[in-house]
Amino acid sequence: MNTIAIVGAGGFVGTSLIESLVLSGNSGVRAVVRSYRNMAGFCRFGDAVEVRLADATREAALVKAIAGAAVVVNVTTGPPAGIVESTRAIYNACRAAGVPRFVHLSSAVVYGDVEQPIDDDAAPLDKHWMPYARAKAESERWLRAQGHAGLEVVVLRPGIVWGVRSPHTTGFARSLARKSSFLVDGGAHVFNGVYIANFVAMIRAACDARGSVAGFYNAGDAERVTWREFYDALGGALGCDPAQLPVVNGEKFPWSTGAVIDAVQSLAPVNALYHRLKTHIPDGLKAAIRSRLEGSYSFDRHATAYATVASVDRELWHLQRVRHKLPVKKFAAAFQFSTPVSFPEAVGRTLAWIESLGLAVAAPAHTIEFSKASNE
Amino acid sequence: MAFRTIVVGCGAVAQRLYRKPLAQLAKQKMIEVVGLVDPAREHADAMLSAFAGARHFTTLEEACKAARPELTLVLTPPHLHCAQTEMAFAHGSHVLCEKPMANSSAECLRMQDAARVANRVLAIGMIRRYFPAFARLRELVQSGALGRLQSFEYREGHKFEWAVTTPAAFRPRAKGGAGVLFDIGTHALDFLQSVFGELAVHQYADDAAGGVETNVAMRLRAADCVGSLNLSWDVPQVNELRVVGVASEAVLRIDRFDQLAVGRRGAFVPQTTDVSFPVDLGLDPKRVVPRSYSDAVLCQLVQVLRAIKFDERPAVDGQGGASCIRLIEHALSKASPLPEPWLAPREQAAAAQLHGSS
Repeated sequence: MNTIAIVGAGGFVGTSLIESLVLSGNSGVRAVVRSYRNMAGFCRFGDAVEVRLADATREAALVKAIAGAAVVVNVTTGPPAGIVESTRAIYNACRAAGVPRFVHLSSAVVYGDVEQPIDDDAAPLDKHWMPYARAKAESERWLRAQGHAGLEVVVLRPGIVWGVRSPHTTGFARSLARKSSFLVDGGAHVFNGVYIANFVAMIRAACDARGSVAGFYNAGDAERVTWREFYDALGGALGCDPAQLPVVNGEKFPWSTGAVIDAVQSLAPVNALYHRLKTHIPDGLKAAIRSRLEGSYSFDRHATAYATVASVDRELWHLQRVRHKLPVKKFAAAFQFSTPVSFPEAVGRTLAWIESLGLAVAAPAHTIEFSKASNE
Repeated sequence: MAFRTIVVGCGAVAQRLYRKPLAQLAKQKMIEVVGLVDPAREHADAMLSAFAGARHFTTLEEACKAARPELTLVLTPPHLHCAQTEMAFAHGSHVLCEKPMANSSAECLRMQDAARVANRVLAIGMIRRYFPAFARLRELVQSGALGRLQSFEYREGHKFEWAVTTPAAFRPRAKGGAGVLFDIGTHALDFLQSVFGELAVHQYADDAAGGVETNVAMRLRAADCVGSLNLSWDVPQVNELRVVGVASEAVLRIDRFDQLAVGRRGAFVPQTTDVSFPVDLGLDPKRVVPRSYSDAVLCQLVQVLRAIKFDERPAVDGQGGASCIRLIEHALSKASPLPEPWLAPREQAAAAQLHGSS
């Protein structure tokens, strides 16, 4: 079996990709992580996963870590300031190590709010308020500028990767359970998502494809779903009726103190400084700041009252005003691909996972009968 | 007189949890750190700056002979705890061993025997015993304030963030590894047993599929109630302990020091959490309410010193540490595959098949 080296394997996409590969019987799975702690998510698979340490911004270390791999997949996360640097380092390491294919994950956020219909080969926006989006766009532009001789580069551009292990999804679930979420323009716009299992299937298709498949591809679910439909699908199990959530106007962003702080933090020099200083702040102080920002803890896991005034997160506000679904026909045609999990099935799986976290409405333990199959 | 103290293992636990409180105790002349033991010089160097009089040793034996410690702090990966504790006792030192006490109950017995033979204190580091909200919840339950107990639900999970310096914990169990059950599970089970008394495992499932478990679900029985325990190293659980009594319900936020509330039918009132612990070696000691990890470790260290000086019982002794390991072994001996209905059917089948090889 050809080896797939996954750089940044400790994140949720990396862990899900490893899970899919191992449970399908693949033997050539190599995780490239910056530190040992990133093994925690996939150590359940033991020796089925080969682990190598390398910082994704250090080309020399990467060359050793990916040597012999047939494909390298870049699923790194981290501060925006490091995104371009790691993209370059991984690309150069692939060339130096003679790896034939590089699968790079970009993001649909490079197209902002998708004000107009757009195709897979459109160039990213030149300007964006979010450092993450700017860094992803710059990475794409840098990759487009390379010659690629001897290295096939496949760039996947997912929308919101949702479902099992997705931080976005736990965020949505928590805010729905607390009845503190909001809907921009009543949730009429497009939820540009890709269910994690569908996205993993796309990455695997990009790894496995024979022949030349280099190019830039959008990655999304097959269905067109609105935010209201998405929240309706999750809300019931979380004790939330999305019809009662506050509606926020999508024409003008409702500025608040928190949003101003976010905006200042998103300025490139401030953002770089923030991420550099963050690692030097003692844990105790970090916890105290987080505790102050979070405010007093709500012990009511399932709130009884709906928020009347929404606390609007700028990123989510933009995600909720996306006007057009990104087309995924190019990927389907190039890879003979259809998404394996339908939206209703994905919702069912996600709700089962949310329940396992204790977020869904559930009965207290003493009211649930112990099964007869005790292992006492 | 300051207790001559050595630190065995100068990695993440030593640097992030112990360095500051040890320096505080050294400043107050309660201890003197005389040795730092770690095969990696750079790990010891990270501690040496705080303890000018300490020497670096690459082996414990060398440190025991040269530094003649009265107290040995064992802060290494769990598979090393037993041998290192035995060696410290053999050289006449008292021992504070970080949780989990060991990787097996057989090793725990050896450690307890060694303590008995040497007539020295064996304490197990369970820092959460010193979190004021945890201590207050224990008081509430044991005073009967919640009424007759019905159930508890303990959930703790987050992305693993400890800057570990070795992959020891993540290796397959046959190679000395230990999963989430040994890691945060020992904290959870120790605390639950301190609140509800001895627990028995009714059902246990985990997601090990050739390696060590990352996610765990347990159903437990106490003398007065039943409960559940869910742990994760890779996804965020709600991070709460809920205790339901016939009179009222208590909710403890696991990742905060002071967040505890009591209520009925979902309406909760935050409780004061002002439980204090001694911070010196006087007969009428000064007490503080811990407000940080550093405070809690300091209180734990002082309690160990008091156990040595006054023959007080440490919060968790060898017996307490061993009972958690026995419970874990009981659970693992009955492990079934954790249901993962979010996987495709063929993936669920593969995971179940691999579970048997863990």
